[in-house]
Amino acid sequence: MTQAKLYDVTLRDGNHALRHTLSSNFVSEYCKKADESGVWAVEVGHGNGLGASSYLVGKSAESDKTLLKAAKDSLQKTKLAVHVIPGFATIKRDLIPAIDHGVDIFRIATHVSEADVSQKHIEFLANRGLTVHGVLMMSHMIDVQGLVREASLMKNYGASTVILMDSAGYFIPSDVAERVTAIRDSLDLEVGFHAHNNLGLGVGNALTAIHQGASVIDGASMGLGAGAGNAQLESIVAAGIRESSINLGVSNFLGLSTLVENTYQDKLPRTTSSSTQSGLAGVFSGYAPQVYAAAEEFGLDSKILWSEVASRKLVAGQESMIREIAQDLMNL
Amino acid sequence: MIETVQSRVAIIGTGNIGTDLCYRLIRDKRFEVIALVGRRSDSPGLDMFKDDVPNLFSNGIEGLTPILGSIQGVFDASSAYNHKQHWEVLETSNKWVIDLTPSKIGKPLVPALMNKVPTMSLQKKLSSNYSMVTCGGQSSAPLLCALASASVGIIDVEVSSSIAALSAGPATRLNIDPYIESTEELITLITGCKKVKAILVLNPSEPPVFMRTTVNISAKFCDLDRANTITQSLIKDVQKYVPGYELVVEPYLQSKNTVSATVKVKGAGFVLPEYAGNLDIINSAAVETAALHAGAMRIEKAI
Repeated sequence: MTQAKLYDVTLRDGNHALRHTLSSNFVSEYCKKADESGVWAVEVGHGNGLGASSYLVGKSAESDKTLLKAAKDSLQKTKLAVHVIPGFATIKRDLIPAIDHGVDIFRIATHVSEADVSQKHIEFLANRGLTVHGVLMMSHMIDVQGLVREASLMKNYGASTVILMDSAGYFIPSDVAERVTAIRDSLDLEVGFHAHNNLGLGVGNALTAIHQGASVIDGASMGLGAGAGNAQLESIVAAGIRESSINLGVSNFLGLSTLVENTYQDKLPRTTSSSTQSGLAGVFSGYAPQVYAAAEEFGLDSKILWSEVASRKLVAGQESMIREIAQDLMNL
Repeated sequence: MIETVQSRVAIIGTGNIGTDLCYRLIRDKRFEVIALVGRRSDSPGLDMFKDDVPNLFSNGIEGLTPILGSIQGVFDASSAYNHKQHWEVLETSNKWVIDLTPSKIGKPLVPALMNKVPTMSLQKKLSSNYSMVTCGGQSSAPLLCALASASVGIIDVEVSSSIAALSAGPATRLNIDPYIESTEELITLITGCKKVKAILVLNPSEPPVFMRTTVNISAKFCDLDRANTITQSLIKDVQKYVPGYELVVEPYLQSKNTVSATVKVKGAGFVLPEYAGNLDIINSAAVETAALHAGAMRIEKAI
């Protein structure tokens, strides 16, 4: 079986769970350990990526620059990666400084149907010979044919790999298999998969992606990530060792998960009744803090608010609408 | 009896923005559309107005040049790159220009903020160039002005807009960075704050969503009542030229030092669909600015 490259999103997606309070001290400590583990890349930054610190999606406790520097100084073998959403991050303000800070892998992300928004950013990086992944977020919100079309756009702009993000934790293994296979069969492009655990399927979906030939697999230590969290990295490694799809030792990964567990005991994500409901409804996992805050402010049942948010089909980055929706519900 | 004096105008650009503008201007008694200018003879935009506009040109500014003597002003809805060349010709011919491209050549103007922001005033010369900035800029400007004038010691300012994916054409998609940069420059111009951020989110959901723009201002002190009063009054001023402009979340304390407010923009539904409030507000602002400028020039002439 092909060996999948492991891509650790603890210090980026995990920042959603930490409400973007990640510190450079923790980044240094984590990266030093990660560098020993054989993990291919570590992604660092605000939950919504470079340049995303904002009132809309939450302010970072420390700047991109500080976090990236802390990571770069602590990594020898493992690559440093960033998540980048056009509309938040610009080439001039965010990408150029990140190149200077020694970032090795750039992931340019758009909502699954809007890949053409990534053209300038991907071309800019690819023309400079940098490693660029295209990321399709909320990838459940389009049919398989549409997914292949959007992936091919990113490939044409210069992305070497396309990452399918199950941002809402909606997919079941057969969905993952169908999509990874469709892209592998129709495009000469590496495929990666990024799971969320809303339905408790994170690790299972990650393994399914590997079985269908995905070459990059995202995971987070202790699952630290938005909503119900990501596929647990140490569990992917353990299961991958058992089925010989991953050729690494598990002990360093257990060390990383212990570090996260001890540091952020009260922040660890879980699959709850509410996250199950948001997963089933296909709502972006990262909306959890805003949904709970608005539900509390207006004395609303969060489950009612989740289903209304789902029926309005919000995409990631519309946090400011949640309060308005709650307000509308109260005025009914 | 007062006779309505019409301004004779040309429109450059036959895409979504240009055709919607043409449709409005034909129905607006203050204007007479003399020419519509495209770059392709098979442009569906040109064909749409073959019975309504006397001069249709498919060879760009070159087509327009011979008849420049018969017009007073031009709406340019082409591209930033082309606007540069157009302005060279139009400036020397003493034409006023409403720039709907992100070229940043013109002076930024939000009609509702006329004379409320120091640099936003009419240019009293024949060759004036007004920039309509961006949809995020036009929609946030009244909130920015209201919240900033009720605040002391502004720390940072943010504008985030979400628009229907269907309303974002190829040019917007390719130019998302220039959109952000132009919007940020306008935030600084209105609030005086240098620490600013603009965000744009495209939402593809069906049915398409109306444009929403949220402003957040963090300051040492903000008089919320005053912010609310000024906001309500400025919203009414915008509604005079954008009827679908609506305050959906009144200014409130989002956190200790941060005030937030949100507007929704529903388009008039001329050529563009109602959800394209982002395009509507730019065109409405363009027509309003042109009318104000032309009016001021007539008074100037009369004096």
